[in-house]
Amino acid sequence: MSIIVENLSKTFKIKEKQKGIGGALKSLVAPKTKLIKAVEDISFTIDDGQAVGFIGPNGAGKSTTVKMLSGILYPSAGRINVNGLVPYKNRIEHVKNIGVVFGQKSQLWWDLPITDTFDLLKKIYKIPSDVYSRNLELFNEILGLHEFETQQVRQLSLGQRMRADIAAAFLHEPSIVFLDEPTIGLDVVAKEKIRLFIKEINRVKKTTLLFTTHDMTDIEKTCQRIIVIDKGKILYDGTIDSFKTKLNKDDFNEAVYEMFTGGI
Amino acid sequence: MRKLFEPFSFYFQHSKMLTKTRMQYKLDAFLCCIAVFVRESAGIVGVFLVLQTFNNIGGWNMQELFFLFSIIFLTYSFLVFLFSGIRDFSNIVNNGEFDKYLLRPRSVLLQIISANSDYFAAIGHGTLGLVLFIISANSIGTDWSFANILYLIITIIGGVLIQASIWLLFSCSSFFLIKTDSLKDFLYWNTRKFAGYPLSVFPGFIQKLLMFVIPFAFVNYFPAQYFLHKPDLAN
Ligand SMILES: Nc1ncnc2c1ncn2[C@@H]1O[C@H](COP(=O)(O)OP(=O)(O)O)[C@@H](O)[C@H]1O
Ligand SMILES: [Mg+2]
Repeated sequence: MSIIVENLSKTFKIKEKQKGIGGALKSLVAPKTKLIKAVEDISFTIDDGQAVGFIGPNGAGKSTTVKMLSGILYPSAGRINVNGLVPYKNRIEHVKNIGVVFGQKSQLWWDLPITDTFDLLKKIYKIPSDVYSRNLELFNEILGLHEFETQQVRQLSLGQRMRADIAAAFLHEPSIVFLDEPTIGLDVVAKEKIRLFIKEINRVKKTTLLFTTHDMTDIEKTCQRIIVIDKGKILYDGTIDSFKTKLNKDDFNEAVYEMFTGGI
Repeated sequence: MRKLFEPFSFYFQHSKMLTKTRMQYKLDAFLCCIAVFVRESAGIVGVFLVLQTFNNIGGWNMQELFFLFSIIFLTYSFLVFLFSGIRDFSNIVNNGEFDKYLLRPRSVLLQIISANSDYFAAIGHGTLGLVLFIISANSIGTDWSFANILYLIITIIGGVLIQASIWLLFSCSSFFLIKTDSLKDFLYWNTRKFAGYPLSVFPGFIQKLLMFVIPFAFVNYFPAQYFLHKPDLAN
């Protein structure tokens, strides 16, 4: 079992801004706080080598969950175990074994070609030279990094940058990779390359994947299982087929739409 | 042994990348260094003008004050060359870079120090510090013997570490108090302004502040006193 999550919750405490000068003074003396339950009592397990689609509308709590699993955020309650480690307790050991892609952010050096960042990652993760060059070759083949590897990252298109960011997250052969909206804003060709890559790595290296996206085709083409979340709670956990059956739809997209708009 | 040197090689790989980045904007870099130099020199010109009328401040003449200033600028130069990541810590947290460091199997502090260096400020402040040192060093009556040169080197290293520690303290506190920037600006930068003048001219509580709270007096005042054989504060 590579990921075990039990009764996991995350509550954010935010200060509410109050209007006017009086309000500003008031919030200085007695700040009004508001609690946001981003994740509420979720539980699931993911086996080694499984590719799981993590879907839900904006604000559902997906990124918060990914951040807790990767050790950036501390849970408010519940237990997490990833590869036998507690992410926020054994940070260094834990992150050696995971890769994370945030579609909204980049870990590449903005003013340098991607190869410089890759070389740095080789050092950071102490990747042996043969493993490093073998992986680069494989990644190049599917993601076509050669096309733009001498250009500075700031000159790359979103699709190119994203392909490079994904390669960066897999370079050290992590056993688990979290992909948080890696296809956001990409054209069909770039998306297809990324799907192909994810599928291939999952097949060849048996990498465990948790994949967040709003494009259901991404999920259908790469994942065996989905976890559906909304308002911090898990609504469904199972295969895509039984999901469609449950909602009485032939089309996955329609089934998802039904799930989030149903009830109304 | 290899393990001991590994952090340094990690640091130098970052330095190479940072240099490569800076070299892409050569003109920009050059102008930035000049701007820093001019801005900082303006403060010195102010002191120069004041001394045209007053002759000395608290018994310290112009050369001696320049020497006092030179230590501030020289230490700051090394400080931002090595530790600007600690200075800019709250930015690093706010723009999400901190999360990136957390996701990598290395000491977060080592990553922050390695990946950040304010070359422009280092060159600007360093040049000014050097100029002030050269102007003053020969006219303050210090015998630049081997022992004194060694003492100067230790003074600079100590000064850099003292200021880095002050910054680190503020950085850590930003986890508990969200906005520490204004607190840091207030305490660090104002104290640094005081440190440009002999401690003896200030009222007692400011002297205590510079000695015990934000110990800037140990960065330049006490070492300068040693070099200049200044007896102030002795009684
Ligand atoms: N750092 C934070 N502080 C306060 N609220 C947050 C923070 N991060 C996320 N939230 C809130 O938690 C909820 C879930 O957010 P998120 O996990 O980003 O959703 P998703 O990734 O599914 O779109 C949202 O209501 C969001 O506003
Ligand atoms: Mg999100």
